[in-house]
Amino acid sequence: MKPEGTIQNEAMSELLNQFEYILDSDPLINEVGFIHPSQFATLEKDPEAGSSRSEASDALDGGDGSFWIRDHKLGISSEVVLRLYKAAREQFMNAIAEYKKLGDLSLPSAEALGIVVMKCSKALVLLSPDFGTAWNSRKLIVSKKTQASMFTDELRLSALVLSYSPKSEQAWSHRRWVIKNMAKNRTTLQEILREESDLVEKIAERSKMNYRAWNHRCWLVSYMDREQVIQELKQSKTWAGLHVADHSCFHYRMRLIIRILEDCCRKQEEGSCDSCVEVYLIWQEELDWNEELIKRYLGREALWLYRRFLSLLWIRHFTSDVNDVSSPQKSQCSIQVNVSVFLDKELLLVNSCSEGSDDEFEDFEEQTICSASYMLWLTKQIPETQKLELREKIENERLDAMLKLVSLRGPPFGAI
Amino acid sequence: MGELAADKHVKYILAVEKRKDNFESAVLEHLRMNGAYWGLTTLDLLGKLDAVDSNEIIEWILKCQHESGGFAGNVGHDPHILYTLSAIQVLALFDKLNVLDVDKVSTCILDESDIAGLQNEDGSFSGDIWGEVDTRFSYIAICGLSILKCLDKINVERAVNYIISCRNVDGGFGCTPGGESHAGQIFCCVAALAITGALHYVDKDLLGWWLCERQVKSGGLNGRPEKLPDVCYSWWVLSSLTMIDRVHWISKEKLIKFILNCQDTENGGISDRPDDAVDIFHTYFGVAGLSLLEYPGVKAVDPAYALPVDVVDRIFFGK
Repeated sequence: MKPEGTIQNEAMSELLNQFEYILDSDPLINEVGFIHPSQFATLEKDPEAGSSRSEASDALDGGDGSFWIRDHKLGISSEVVLRLYKAAREQFMNAIAEYKKLGDLSLPSAEALGIVVMKCSKALVLLSPDFGTAWNSRKLIVSKKTQASMFTDELRLSALVLSYSPKSEQAWSHRRWVIKNMAKNRTTLQEILREESDLVEKIAERSKMNYRAWNHRCWLVSYMDREQVIQELKQSKTWAGLHVADHSCFHYRMRLIIRILEDCCRKQEEGSCDSCVEVYLIWQEELDWNEELIKRYLGREALWLYRRFLSLLWIRHFTSDVNDVSSPQKSQCSIQVNVSVFLDKELLLVNSCSEGSDDEFEDFEEQTICSASYMLWLTKQIPETQKLELREKIENERLDAMLKLVSLRGPPFGAI
Repeated sequence: MGELAADKHVKYILAVEKRKDNFESAVLEHLRMNGAYWGLTTLDLLGKLDAVDSNEIIEWILKCQHESGGFAGNVGHDPHILYTLSAIQVLALFDKLNVLDVDKVSTCILDESDIAGLQNEDGSFSGDIWGEVDTRFSYIAICGLSILKCLDKINVERAVNYIISCRNVDGGFGCTPGGESHAGQIFCCVAALAITGALHYVDKDLLGWWLCERQVKSGGLNGRPEKLPDVCYSWWVLSSLTMIDRVHWISKEKLIKFILNCQDTENGGISDRPDDAVDIFHTYFGVAGLSLLEYPGVKAVDPAYALPVDVVDRIFFGK
């Protein structure tokens, strides 16, 4: 009779083999979930769950019900997940240690060991998405290959992990490593960038205010050309309008607009300012759209913070101030708007936002605080002469009331 | 309002290591070094560091060190700058920095044409050889090297310039240039600037405004606009406000109350929000936040080095 430990080990490696076989035979798995085994039966009966059988599902016949797969959706029994993790971890640690010991990686034995590392690191990151060492081992092996398909495979694996662990820092970072390497090898990344943007939007839909996801999208901007930046601005508008509390999406738009502005400023330096009008129009449209949203969705902090940014940069780049002769950047821009007129319009907006109805008391209160904060924040950031002018425009009584409101959440009375 | 259940928290931290063999704990093995830092710093802030066997811990830490000089999050894992700082900090807590080969550790962070050097041309820092860049890594490199007293070996000016390039219109900082402001990243950037004597680059009123708007009605702090409050921001936001001298812009009383409401007064530990499950990460940030709020019975913590003030004094003044 075999000792108990050996039987256990055999069972564990059998479980791992089955898992790795499923992953191997269906490279298009696009969802993974840890579910209680009792749910498997329900899934079997569910006509909505689809019915196409595959090589991977055939592999499960005669199995002990640890896995469930259909239509590229994989379910792992929550009862085996710890054992599976331990088995995958052990196999991985042994394989990578051996791989690193190899001197000559061109030998066939190195090739074979590399395949084992890829196989068990895949199982491991699916079970433990932030197991950095497993992701690293994949980078190590992929970096020694030349086939472009390996990069696409890595993007697919990372997307699969992100589909159920959308905040996994390692999975996001792995994508950036892949993209950086693709950029080194290719002339254009346009299609990849588009797909990455779509992926972020898809993940952001399910995982609200996901900093890692949006940070990834912001990171992509540096690889985009002007045309693509403008395209992105158009494309992300609908999503932003439907998710007005998601500050990250508005920050993304901010990033795109700043990038357009930078391009424009560079051209100015080179003496050709043909895009100035275009930037002006984009900006105007964004301010109008933001105002619309502010009036439709009361008391949304994200919308008001976005307006702070839009207005401040607008003032810095497009307004003329008779008292200010110090800004050389402005003088180069062919479009000059009177700052006084601009601030009058903003005051009008703030005033209209302080007149709400009693039915929506809480939202109305938020809206009033946000609008007062917006105005006073702006007075702090603009040049001194404009600041005095603006303060004069706000009547004393009203200013006191605004300061009081702001001190509820922002800086104290005396600091503004 | 309850009081800080300090004894319960000490018991909770000591018990975490002996927790059940479950999947949720198993998948956290890669960041055990961070866990050690959170747990042990909390014990020290509560005056109970002597409840653990320091030799055993130091032996384990050294097992996590790689040939390159960097530390892994656990034995057998790859090294990363994230765990290297935690290792240095824990050794500092035990006054055992002398077990380190300072040259070796600092070389893995520096750019001395060593392949493992992590500072990049633009002054930024990578987390490991795979090249991910983040202002968190800038902080870690600066804080770690400062503790090891070899900050003068890096190009501080370039490192500072990179951090400044990650500053946003709202006064906050992100992971990389153009990245969204986040209270955690702000802590890293402000602390790195504080350590390098470059806080004059921060517009304190502008950043202070953004930071104090993180306090929500319940008294807790969030890390970004429109998010729910979370105890960990009692550290990230509060330490930043402390460094730029704007703590009086928020209500300390309400924040203390929020943190205390997140305690598990029966079994110890602190959670992200009232009635959630506790963990070691939030236990540390809750206690460290209370320390910055000068709560009685908690030792003072240094807002930039994230270590007890007496430990920092010992490092720099040999007290």
